[in-house]
Formats: sequence, C-alpha cells, structure tokens
Amino acid sequence: MATSRPFLRLSLLSALVLVSACKKQEAAKPEGAPSDAPAATAPKAKTLKVGLVTDVGGRGDHSFNDSALRGLELWGAGKKMEGGSYKDATPEELKETLAQDLATRGISPVGATPVVLQSKVPEDYEPNLQTLVDEGVSLAIGVGFMLENAVETVAKRNPDAKFLLIDSPLVSADGKVYTLPNVRTVMYREEQGSFLVGALAALASKNDKVGFVGGMEVPLIKKFEAGFRAGVAAVKPQATVLVNYTGTFDNVAAGKQVGQDLVNKGADVVYHAAGSDGLGVIQAVKEARAAGKQVFVIGVDSDQSHLAPEAVLTSMLKRVDLGVYEAVRDLSQGKLEGGDVTLGLKEGGVTYAPVRVDFPGKAEALQKVEELRAKVVSGEIQVPTHPSQLTAAPAKP
Amino acid sequence: MLEIIEALLSSTLEYFPALLFAALGATLSERSGVVNVGVEGMMRAGAFCAAVAAITFPTPVGVLVGMLAGAGMAAIHGYLCIRWRSDQVVSGMAINLVALAGGTYLLESLYGPNGTPPIHQLTRWHLPGLSEVPLLRVLSGHSALTWLALVLPFAFHGLLYRTPLGLRLRAVGEKPHAVATLGLSVTGLRWLAVLGSGMLAGLGGATLSTAVLDRFEQHTPAGLGFMALAAMVFGRWTPLGAFLAALFFAFGGALRIGLASSAPGLLEVVPQGFLLALPYVLTLAVLAFQGQRTHAPAALGTPYEQESR
Repeated sequence: MATSRPFLRLSLLSALVLVSACKKQEAAKPEGAPSDAPAATAPKAKTLKVGLVTDVGGRGDHSFNDSALRGLELWGAGKKMEGGSYKDATPEELKETLAQDLATRGISPVGATPVVLQSKVPEDYEPNLQTLVDEGVSLAIGVGFMLENAVETVAKRNPDAKFLLIDSPLVSADGKVYTLPNVRTVMYREEQGSFLVGALAALASKNDKVGFVGGMEVPLIKKFEAGFRAGVAAVKPQATVLVNYTGTFDNVAAGKQVGQDLVNKGADVVYHAAGSDGLGVIQAVKEARAAGKQVFVIGVDSDQSHLAPEAVLTSMLKRVDLGVYEAVRDLSQGKLEGGDVTLGLKEGGVTYAPVRVDFPGKAEALQKVEELRAKVVSGEIQVPTHPSQLTAAPAKP
Repeated sequence: MLEIIEALLSSTLEYFPALLFAALGATLSERSGVVNVGVEGMMRAGAFCAAVAAITFPTPVGVLVGMLAGAGMAAIHGYLCIRWRSDQVVSGMAINLVALAGGTYLLESLYGPNGTPPIHQLTRWHLPGLSEVPLLRVLSGHSALTWLALVLPFAFHGLLYRTPLGLRLRAVGEKPHAVATLGLSVTGLRWLAVLGSGMLAGLGGATLSTAVLDRFEQHTPAGLGFMALAAMVFGRWTPLGAFLAALFFAFGGALRIGLASSAPGLLEVVPQGFLLALPYVLTLAVLAFQGQRTHAPAALGTPYEQESR
C-alpha cells in the first residue's frame, strides 16, 4: 500500500506536465511564438484572450470581484454569464449598467474573450495567474490588493506577458513602491469619492452631527476618513464628525456596536469604510430607524442600497469595472503600457451611487454636491488624503 | 454623564450574551475533564444553522436548531476524545477548521459568499415600566437571550454546586477513577458535559446570527469563541466567574468604543491595539500569576482509561 503512493504521485505529476504541455502548444498556434513584445504589436481582435483571477471573494460577491468581472465580461466582451456559460448580452443590458456619468464615455465591447479563474484560497493566486500565462492570454488581471505578491512574482517570471493589478501598486520586499514594464496597476482616489458623500452626509444631517466608522486603522482607510471629514467641513464647517474604528474588517458585531455608539451619541448620518464590519453598521442604523430615529447610513465600494433600502442614503463607489475595461480597451488598441494609473472623480474612477431615499432639501443638496464634484475635477479643491492634513490645509468650500 | 453610562451598559448587555453562553459551554466541558478549544467552531455551526433554519421557520426554532448544531459538532469532539481517547486539543482545533471551511463551503453553495438572506430578528422586549426609570431602563429593548444570559449563570452555579449531578460532573474532572469506583459511568458523564457544552456554544453562535444580527455573515463568530475560552480561564472555570469575566470583557469592549468617539485625544496616548489585546493580556496574566495553585480541573485533558492509575 505504502509503496504505491510515490508511483501514484509520479503518474499524477506526469499527467499534469502532459496537460500543461498540450495547453502551451494549443496557445502557441494562434498567437505565434510568444517572444519579444507579442501583445504590444496590435493583437488581432479575434485572439484577444484576456484572463482574470478573482480574489477569494469570487464571483457573486456583489462588490469588488463582480465589478471587475463586469468590466471584462460585459463591457469588454459583451458577454454575460448565465447558468455556467457565456451568452451574448444585448446592447440594452450593457447600457443598463452604465451610470449617467459613464454613458458618454463610449464604453462598448472590444471583442475580448474572457478566461476567468476563481481563487478559493490565497494559495491559488499565483498558480492561477501562471495558468493564464500558460494559456497564452494577452493580459492577465489580478483583482484586489491581495494578489499583489502573486502578480509581482508571475510578472517577473514571465516578462513577455502583460498584467493588470487592481487597487495596489507593486511593493518590493523592503516596502518600496516600484513599477514593472509589463504590469499596469490601477488605484483609486477614495478620498475624492468620500469627500462628496461627506458633503451629502452633512447636508442630509439634521442635528449637524455625522459619524465615520473605519475598519483597521491603516493608511487606506485614513484616506476615506480624511476625504469624508473634508467633505463635511466644506458644506457645514460647524458640523461635528464622530470618528471610530472597529480594528477589524471581519467582525460584524463590532461594526454594529460601533454604529450604535455613534447613533446613540447623536450622529444621524453614518459613513462606513469597514469591510464586513460595515454590515453591522448598516444593521445598527436599520434598528435605530425601527426604533423611530431618523438616521441614514452611507455604504462603500459598491451600491449597498439593497441591504437596507430605506436606510442607505448612498454609497461611495469604486469603479473597478472601469479600471478593468480601460485596460482591456487599451490592449485592443495596442497601447497598454506598464505603470501606475490613478482614477479619481475626474476619470470616473470614484463617485457616489444614486440617492434613492428622500430627505428635506434633497434637490438642493444634490446640486451642491455636483458643484463640489466640478470643483474637485477642475482641481480647485484639493482633497486631503490623511486626517493630519485636515487642520493644516482645510478644504476650501 | 448619565446618558454615557447608560449607553455603555446597554451596549454591554447587548454583546455579552453570546460570549457568556460560549464561556459557560467551555466551562461545562472542561469541568468534566474534556478540553474544548472547539468552541469557536461549535459557535460557527450554531450561528449558521440557526440562520438557515430561521429562513423557513420562526426564529426561536432557529435558535433551537443552532443549539442542536453545536451539540452535533460536540458529538464529533466527544466521539474522538471520549470514545477513542484522542488528543483533546487536536480534536478541538480540527472542529474549528472543519466549521470554518465547511461553513464557508455550505454558505457559498447555498446563498453566495457573503451571507444568508436576512431573517426575522428575535423580538426585542420593551418593558413599559422600566423605560422611565433612569439606569434601569438599559434593561429594556433587548432580546430574551439577554435575560437568559442574566439568569443562566446562577442556575448553572446551582446545578454544579448544589446537586448530586453537579458533584459528579466536577468529580469526573478531578478524579475520574474515584467516580468509577462508585459505580458511575465516567464516559456517560463526560458525554453529557460535552454535548451540553456544544449546545451552549451553539446557543452563543445562534445569538450572533438571530439577536445581534439578522443573518449569518461569512466571518461569524470572528474569534469570539477564543475570547470565550479566555473568559473561562479568567473566571477560574466557574459559572459565576465566567459570568463576571464575560461582563467585564463586554464592558471593556463597550468602553473602548465609547471612549474612541467621545475622547479621541485619549487614543493618541493609548494605542487602540493595546485596548483590543487587553482581554487576552489579562488572561495570560491570570494564568501566569496563579502559579502552582492552578484552578483548572485536575484531570483536564487526560482521556479516561479504566485500567490506568
């Protein structure tokens, strides 16, 4: 019994080698030898194979991964996933997913062929990316900062393949940010989106007291806090912002406790940037409303309105789909280059979700927020990226 | 000032039941001599099954299903540790791993990765008489589970120290052979304690998904089971000790959150991380300072074998 084990392993291994060898041959046929700069020399639209590796959230997370998949499958390829296979999407279906500010951006399918691999555990990231490279994709996309290491490793190992990394720059082992010629990274100006929802929160607040719930106290979340507080100060300098951090991203109970604390202390609009803890914040606000309090919550990353339609004022949106689509489009035009891309309000990378609830003075508030958007876009207002910059250089209204 | 204190107490009462039930569960199992580090996993199973059952049945039924699920996980633990005398810590960790992965798998295949659909939360009791009285009004507006959590430790104390069954349960944790010479079944008593422990841990998990939240969320219970073990040690393996420890930990958490928004200056002096780590630091301190006079049951972690002496 014991002796047969190594043989089993060996035969499995050789089968694996065979399979991957076959794959390589297959992929090599349509694209030619993948040597110096194959993708840069305008690949034919027919063979524009684009791979994508999700993080452990996977398809159906209503957030980060689904947004990235929309950018590739629906916008880039004109396809939708239905019952485990791709179907062609109608132009109407595509149009439905384009918010007003994206409608004029000329988003239309560029004939990409999506190859999607889902990651079940973090250990999947690297092999999944390598598999895509072996499949001969023209671009391999890693969704989320958790794939940073994997993208870095695989990109260095395969200098001829192209990569897109969402939400993180490349960071070397000693903590320095750097770029690789074959990796594009997309980051977002979360502080700008937070600035707008901050202004909206202040305008919707009746007792001039709003709250911010952060997850872990890390620079990324501090960016949200700084933008939010600047937004409040821009429209209501006299308003108070209560700030509280849960210290985690995965403890809903802690999020709810912090949310209740802020509501009890009089905050009537609460913004969260706390991952799963945020679901607890939404829950706290929902319960406070059930108890007769007039309070709202602001979601983050994707439109969280469906979690509590009457309680969610709006959500700060991060357009992962746009970052993915633009890379795919650039690839189809043969102009995808390495380096860092940062998407803010101006580029449509961040914004806020449609306001579906009613509050007194809604129309004027939205108008005011749109005025602020124009000022941030034109550069008239510089939104701080860390709370320490708030007192030093307050955002001018 | 009164308002701040009331907010603190109300918050404490909302969050200590889940911790307390799990800590009582751990205490019950360990008093009978069976280490239970699988509390986290049993809570997860309880939280998940309670939420799933509450989608179709009334929520109290969901809570009962959650308790049974916890007992089911405990049965695996008992089968391995009592029947086959395997290492109790290893078995407990295995329970945690199985619950973590199994819960994620079932959640994803049934409802998607984030959580179950929302259920009806357990009814909150608003007591008309109490809501006018300062301080005491914090007791109003909680679910029945909060009230159960205020009563159960005393009932459990009575059971453990005032009944023959309690004496026997404590005895199998201290000197199982002495219990055996009286003609009592050591394995039977341990099975009873381990299954009860699973039910209590399952109840703790069900509290999270039916009273604190209104659904099972993918990360539940996010380490609360380990906090419960800390409360058990801090409470010196007694029900009333676990009660005070759970109250203390929950109050500490509420205080940290309350201070963060009321006195933001304070957190610049005392780092958040320190406050987050405080319960565990205190537990380590208790373990370190009790030295020789350990309060843990003498036979804890030792599988019972009739022939050994």
